[in-house]
Amino acid sequence: MMRAGPAPEEIRRHNLGTLLRFVHLRGPASRARLAESLGLNRSTIMALTSDLTAAGLVREELPRGPGRRAGRPSLVVRPESTRVYVLAFDVGVDRLVVARVGLGGVVLDRREAARSRDADPSDLVGTLAAGARSLVRKADRGAVCVGAALAFPGTVRRSDDAIMFGPNLDVGDVHLGDALSRRLGLGIPVSVRNDANLGALAEHERGAGVGCDNLIYLHGDVGVGGGIIVGGRLLGGDEGFGGEIGHMVVNPGGRPCACGARGCLEAEVGERTLLDLAGREAAPGQSGRDAVRGVVDAADRGDIVAREALHRVGNRLGLGVANLVNVFNPGMVVFGGTLRDIYLGSAAQVRSVLATNALAAPRERVKLRTTELGDDTTLVGAAEFAFAEVLADPVQVLTRLRTPEDTPVS
Amino acid sequence: MNLPGGGGGPAARAAAGPPVRPHALEAGRNGAATPGYRHPGAADTLGGHDRPSRDGGVARWEPLRMSVTPVLDLRGIDKSFGSVKVLHDVAFSAYPGEVTALVGDNGAGKTTLVKCIGGIHPFDSGEYRFDGAPARVGSPRDAAALGIEIVHQDLALCENLDIVQNLFLGRERRRGLMLDEAGMEELARGTLAGLSVRTIGSVRQRISTLSGGQRQTVAIARAVLWDSKVVILDEPAAALGVVQTQQVLELVRRLADKGLAVVLISHNMNDVFAVSDRIAALYLGRMAAQVRTSDVTHRQIVELITAGVSGDLGLRR
Ligand SMILES: Nc1ncnc2c1ncn2[C@@H]1O[C@H](COP(=O)(O)OP(=O)(O)OP(=O)(O)O)[C@@H](O)[C@H]1O
Ligand SMILES: [Mg+2]
Ligand SMILES: [Zn+2]
Repeated sequence: MMRAGPAPEEIRRHNLGTLLRFVHLRGPASRARLAESLGLNRSTIMALTSDLTAAGLVREELPRGPGRRAGRPSLVVRPESTRVYVLAFDVGVDRLVVARVGLGGVVLDRREAARSRDADPSDLVGTLAAGARSLVRKADRGAVCVGAALAFPGTVRRSDDAIMFGPNLDVGDVHLGDALSRRLGLGIPVSVRNDANLGALAEHERGAGVGCDNLIYLHGDVGVGGGIIVGGRLLGGDEGFGGEIGHMVVNPGGRPCACGARGCLEAEVGERTLLDLAGREAAPGQSGRDAVRGVVDAADRGDIVAREALHRVGNRLGLGVANLVNVFNPGMVVFGGTLRDIYLGSAAQVRSVLATNALAAPRERVKLRTTELGDDTTLVGAAEFAFAEVLADPVQVLTRLRTPEDTPVS
Repeated sequence: MNLPGGGGGPAARAAAGPPVRPHALEAGRNGAATPGYRHPGAADTLGGHDRPSRDGGVARWEPLRMSVTPVLDLRGIDKSFGSVKVLHDVAFSAYPGEVTALVGDNGAGKTTLVKCIGGIHPFDSGEYRFDGAPARVGSPRDAAALGIEIVHQDLALCENLDIVQNLFLGRERRRGLMLDEAGMEELARGTLAGLSVRTIGSVRQRISTLSGGQRQTVAIARAVLWDSKVVILDEPAAALGVVQTQQVLELVRRLADKGLAVVLISHNMNDVFAVSDRIAALYLGRMAAQVRTSDVTHRQIVELITAGVSGDLGLRR
């Protein structure tokens, strides 16, 4: 098919998606602000808004709050947060979270469950599905679920969402996405992606890295995950396995890693190593994150062994960051999960190693930041991923979802 | 469909603020990949450099960068208490969008320098420039008028008043003859929310019911509320536990990322390296060095603090 430019319906779809994305990420906005920000004229904005309103995706109303000025206030376009939502799943080694997240990024409701490390993998899908179903039951009548995604601590193939490798969390032979989708019975597929990749996405769209298009997110749980955003896009590599920073070797011949190699970043700065160096182990029932925080806390109180442990871990972490800075020239490196605590507790080492091992040019301006999304980075990333489809083609997706009997779900 | 990344549709040109753009990830399973637009002028940060970096004694060329004028710029500051000279010929600058850590041993003169900046102590001689122009700061009122807010080592908050009252102390908003309580409350809430403060329940809590970290937060929020340009924090984390210290550090970083010049006094090198862009080291009342944090090691800073020199950094003998 030969064409000089995009067809009008393509432009319209694109504009609808752009407008919806704007209010989804930046919050309610007046037509005037939308026109200015999106570079479209007022009549186009009006037409797009009325299409989105008809589809039940946005609503126009008077601005809220007492701070109103005199004169006729202009209407704001607001995402229909309670009527259009996604399901976000965050599978951590110690913790499972399911959330119902409304358009606009509002966490409407959530369920959390502690997970024991020796839990039977077959329980996983049941627990997640039960949590999700109870969230769906509480949704407003007429609310529509437009997507679902799951953050998983392991390597996931992009083409079919198959989990290839997850040394810290065994799921057996199940295809997590398909199994969960079937159990939910909402006619919605559940995408599965690497948790730290989703964390990078979350920090880029809603966290510390908004406006920074070259960003690296480092996530600490039991292992260490990574997500690399280059030029505003996630670096997935050939099959979606990209960004496994945890298996970058920072100490050749060092500690054995669950992947079979030695001296990987994960093996050198992961939870087990930090606890081991600090001469501690997680108390029964204590999550890994709390155990890591315990070490940071002890170091702060002057515990020499804990300090030395953080010191060594900080040096290795700095080495990892120095390599990343040299290779990718990121504008920002964001530390999340337990690495937030570890970075704040060992920043003197991390940055000293960076000063001596990274090239001056990319080192000078790189910002080192901690997550702005707290413990929800990977969850928020899953939600954003789940919204991708409706944001790409809002009206068509809504039409299809509201009349499920006409279009069989693949 | 897969439009080329460099394209840019009709709606791609965002006028202000960070770009809103298609997903960084490939679209969900049933969706086509979304087109990627390029946005000109991705967030550029402030960063000036006034000295060559020296790593292990090797000077090297620095890339050319836009130089940023310091918002606060002191030179040749001398200060004595009676016959005891506490500050000798001190130079100190703070830059918008950056955290400058002010470090030094006990008694090095950090608090004294801050009190000179804040108009609490008059200094004996020296030059005080603000926003590029000479400024006269003879009282705390003068400093506040310039937009300098100091969170002192001994937090000056009123225990028996609530958060809103403390934030607006001496600068209450009125509606006619009445205090505009609703308006102040709204602003207080908005300020805390703007700083992503999630640890404070009600803005009507009395200060006496707050933890150390929450108090610190209120003091910092006051600086933000009054649209300060420079915020100086004298050992904000000294009396805090780890969790609260982390929150205060992140708040400090966020303040600077909003464009304020922040000065952080701390003895904790992890705190200093975690959030600072520059480090100014005082040694016995003299400024040993003011360096970019990305150029130095922990060890160099410790040497500057304890000996006033480290390699070719620091005071000449
Ligand atoms: N009002 C004062 N009168 C006389 N001497 C003072 C006064 N204030 C401070 N000094 C002296 O000035 C010197 C510097 O004190 P300053 O409080 O500035 O140190 P500092 O760097 O803040 O130390 P610390 O880390 O302990 O807070 C000290 O020797 C102190 O005794
Ligand atoms: Mg002091
Ligand atoms: Zn490995």
